[in-house]
Amino acid sequence: MRDYIKLTGILFIICAIAAASLGYTNAVTYDRIQEQMVIAGNEAKKAVLPGAETFEELEDSTFSKIKSNEKYNYISDIYIAKAGGNIIGYAVKATPKGYGGSMDVIVGVAADGSILGVRVGNNSETPGLGKKAETPKFQEQFNGKTWDNGINVIKSGTPKDNEIAAISGATVTSGAVTAGVNQALEVAKELSGK
Amino acid sequence: MNLWKDLENGLIKENPTFRLVLGTCPTLAVTTAVFNGIGMGIAAAAVLIGSNLIISLIKKIVPNEIRIPIYIVVIATFTTIVQMLIQAFSPALDKSLGIYIPLIVVNCIIIARAEAFAAKNPVINSVMDGVGMGIGFTVALTIISSVREILGSGTFFGMQLFGSGFEPALIMILPPGGFMVFGLSIAAFNKITSLRKNREGI
Amino acid sequence: MKLGLIIIGAIFVNNFVLSQFLGICPFLGVSKQLDTAIGMSVAVTFVMGLASVICWMIQYYILIPLGIGYMQTIAFILVIAGLVQFVEMVIKKTSPALYQALGIYLPLITTNCAVLGVAILNIDTNYNLIESLINGVGGGLGFALAIILFAGVRERLELAPTPKALDGFPIAMLAASLFSIAFLGFKGLFSGLL
Repeated sequence: MRDYIKLTGILFIICAIAAASLGYTNAVTYDRIQEQMVIAGNEAKKAVLPGAETFEELEDSTFSKIKSNEKYNYISDIYIAKAGGNIIGYAVKATPKGYGGSMDVIVGVAADGSILGVRVGNNSETPGLGKKAETPKFQEQFNGKTWDNGINVIKSGTPKDNEIAAISGATVTSGAVTAGVNQALEVAKELSGK
Repeated sequence: MNLWKDLENGLIKENPTFRLVLGTCPTLAVTTAVFNGIGMGIAAAAVLIGSNLIISLIKKIVPNEIRIPIYIVVIATFTTIVQMLIQAFSPALDKSLGIYIPLIVVNCIIIARAEAFAAKNPVINSVMDGVGMGIGFTVALTIISSVREILGSGTFFGMQLFGSGFEPALIMILPPGGFMVFGLSIAAFNKITSLRKNREGI
Repeated sequence: MKLGLIIIGAIFVNNFVLSQFLGICPFLGVSKQLDTAIGMSVAVTFVMGLASVICWMIQYYILIPLGIGYMQTIAFILVIAGLVQFVEMVIKKTSPALYQALGIYLPLITTNCAVLGVAILNIDTNYNLIESLINGVGGGLGFALAIILFAGVRERLELAPTPKALDGFPIAMLAASLFSIAFLGFKGLFSGLL
């Protein structure tokens, strides 16, 4: 019996010291880690909507209505971008299904309906093929396109105004990103009331 | 001096990656780029040195029956501390190493050294062993990630090495490449050490 | 449907050993003989499933409500260590032969990155309880598939003439890389199914 008490006692003391040191380190690094997370979260939004001062996340009943709408099944978050108190656009995050699984696509739509930027985030696409969706060369194709018509993906030839060229060898990935962008455009158009 | 020998041991004679073949999960998983390899090596070394230090300090009061859970608690504590430091000061490293940072706690190298060395040796020697093993591990990771990054992405530490005409061998940064480079590295290491032994034998 | 995708993912598309590099140490250590490989896989699958469930509950019922998310690593690994002790006792009672055969590899399940890995992955991927259980069991089955296939190959490698430097681990790694290439072929399975 005494053995058990001694064993448990030592184990308990060591665990207590461990927990204390972890608690201390946590307290010391907490603020900094939170900061880093906020910076990382904003980076993508700022990249697709330059000029925005604040981003307000849409969370009320409008958002729930959108989330329950079948045609917005890829939309995961919507942020209203403001500068000087006026709405200048929307940062919409979509998660379409790529070749290797879900992809994070953030689209910056200006208040007039034109795309200011597209960023492809977390994904499991194939390096050298689908992963090229992360390159500026692919993403810049979307800049300037508007929500008037849907965007189509073409495999060859020069893309017209409402088309983008697929990554050679990665049609599924290119199609997925485009699907995400199209839904983002749709939802932004509906929100702006135009 | 004896201390130096403890440190040297982890570099070649008992190199954890190429000789003891321990800690293979991170070796294969994070060596896609030199930045990741070095980052993981340093993180694991930090945990190793810390845990060797503490375990050697408390070895006299640790009852044999519960030594494994206690080692685990110590190693897990250092792993979590390192994890928080990385999250706070290098989010880039946090993102690329991902789940492998908390997995340092089950890196066989650390438990193996705790059981085989720190539990039986004085504190200073244990720290030296930790440093030696840590450096050996980091060097091994750096070698493997260099090969994989140069051949697989055409870069070194993120810097483009070749012109745009160079088509990198993608397979190098995919899982099969990891197995290949690791296997061939062990073979090369074995060959070199046996050549050395032959020369010294004569 | 989603559960089916999770299990196919864990076994084939993102095989825990050959794609995600989790569980390599026992993969190399126990794959020398077919029967130990089978015994080990059963033990690992059981531990992975059970660990997934228990760790999930600890995360959502204890760690998060108390705001001590940073204790995740230490809590999870202690749970796993306890589970493995328990499984050891059960095997010792029910099959002493298997207990002997597995030897030191049984307590080493604690340091099997696949077990801790799947527990953390379940939380990171925001799976619910059932999805975590399926992912844990699937991961174990993927591990089983890899290790059993590999044992078959290694039994032959023992008898094949190899250059001295390649003997043992190196040639096993090269064989594993060929396996890994084969499993890469499963990559498109998701987009094909959806």
